Amino acid sequence: MTDVLAPCPGRLLPITDTPDPVFADEIVGPGVAIDPKPGETTVVSPIAGRVVKVHPHAFVVLDTEGVGVLVHLGINTVRLDGKGFEVLVEQGATVAAGDPMVRWDPATVVGDGLSTVVPIVAMDRPRGSVPAPDPGEVQTGDLLFSIS
Amino acid sequence: MPTSTVIVGSAVGLHARLASIIAEAAGNLDAHATLALPGGEPVDATSSLMIMTLGDGKGAAVEVASESAEAHDAIAALGAQDLDA
Repeated sequence: MTDVLAPCPGRLLPITDTPDPVFADEIVGPGVAIDPKPGETTVVSPIAGRVVKVHPHAFVVLDTEGVGVLVHLGINTVRLDGKGFEVLVEQGATVAAGDPMVRWDPATVVGDGLSTVVPIVAMDRPRGSVPAPDPGEVQTGDLLFSIS
Repeated sequence: MPTSTVIVGSAVGLHARLASIIAEAAGNLDAHATLALPGGEPVDATSSLMIMTLGDGKGAAVEVASESAEAHDAIAALGAQDLDA
């Protein structure tokens, strides 16, 4: 089992509340979402593993058990083309859970069709594998869910 | 194994949304399919995670390998769309 930790602080949401059907319908995979606290934030890796992909607005870490977790900073934020995001890690690097990945300020993400909601998704896993979380605030590093 | 080349239409390459939609479509096909960058290691087309590791930008050429013509058509149609529009 892999423990998936909160990459940033904020309010916990079920993944189905993500304002994007590809995430809300768990097409990317099961998981949870965070409505992030505004302010400059260092987003950390939710698991230990290899950084298989890093964009300014999203990254995927794959662990040795084959669990891959995607953290997507906001919805449609790909349109910002990296503006407002500072990448702190290289693709291919090995990271520990809690290692810094990207710095951003959710308050800078404004615009039509943009949302700051951060889905945290276990990729290539069946829909429904992660139950909806109890509502509440999380801090960076809090346990979100476990998956195998 | 028959191969075809798909030019990725999405402005941001094989991004989470496009990768996941391709993976889901590939999972619904009867035949096995792989995607690869030219000269690169093929990855299972049903794994959105592995698809995301390919191709960085719009216009990336991705090689589809499958015995099934349906797989080629389905993946070509999805890959050519700009699903981030």
